[in-house]
Amino acid sequence: MKVKATLKGDSAEVKIMAESLMAGKEEAAAKKLPAEEYITHITAKLNGKTVWEASTGPFLSKDPYFKFDINGAKAGDEIVVDSVDNKGKKDTGTAKIK
Amino acid sequence: MQRRKFLTLGAVAAAATVLPVGLSATDFRATNASAWEAPSSKEAIEALFGKGAMIEGKIEIKAPKLAENGGAVPIGIKSDIELTTVAVFQDANPRSAVVVFELYGNKIDLMTKIKMKKTAEVTIVAKGADGKLYKTAQKVEVSIGGCGG
Repeated sequence: MKVKATLKGDSAEVKIMAESLMAGKEEAAAKKLPAEEYITHITAKLNGKTVWEASTGPFLSKDPYFKFDINGAKAGDEIVVDSVDNKGKKDTGTAKIK
Repeated sequence: MQRRKFLTLGAVAAAATVLPVGLSATDFRATNASAWEAPSSKEAIEALFGKGAMIEGKIEIKAPKLAENGGAVPIGIKSDIELTTVAVFQDANPRSAVVVFELYGNKIDLMTKIKMKKTAEVTIVAKGADGKLYKTAQKVEVSIGGCGG
C-alpha cells in the first residue's frame, strides 16, 4: 500500500493506493481466480485518532485509489492506514505529512 | 423539563437515522450486509439510508461523461456542507453499492476510482451532520467495460 500526505493550508490531502484485485464472484469466475478477493474496510488515523474510513466492495477499481482531506493537520503528523480484505488479510501503510 | 426536552430530542434523532451513530469505527459491510447484495441503486440506497426525502444539488459529483476505461472510472465528490457519511452507488455492475465513506467532520473533497461494466448512472448519497440526506447522480458512458466479465 502506498500513502502520501501533503499539507495544504490547515488541512492535509491524503492519497492512498491500496493493493487488491478487488474481484467479486463474477470477476473471480471470469478470470478463473481461486476465490473472490477484495478489501472490505480501510481506516486512516491521524496521530492515532480515526479521521477517515471506507467500507468497500469489489466494484472499486483494482488496487483502489482514494483521495481525501483531513482538517487540522500539521507537517510531521503521522497518517496510518490499515486495510483488511474479505479473507482477513491485513495491510498497513504510513506517511508523515509533508 | 430539561430531562424531558433531552429525551424528546434523543427520540427524534434516533427516528431520523437508519445508519448506526457513533464515533467508533463502523464496518457497513457488517452492519448492513444486505445493502451490499442489492442489485439496483434504489434498493441499495434504501437498505443503507432508508426511504426518507433526499435534498438534491448540495453535493457535486465529478465524473467523466464518457469513460474510455470502465476498469477505473474516477469519481470525485465535493460539498460545502458537513457530511458524516458519503456512499457511492452505480447500476453498471451486478450489485450497486461500491463504497461508504465516513468523514469525521473533515472537508468534503473525495476521489476514488470505480469499475463500470457498462454505461449507467452513478449516484452519491450522503448523510449530513444535520441529519438530512443528500443525493446527486450522473450518467457515465463506458466504451470498454471493466468488470472482467
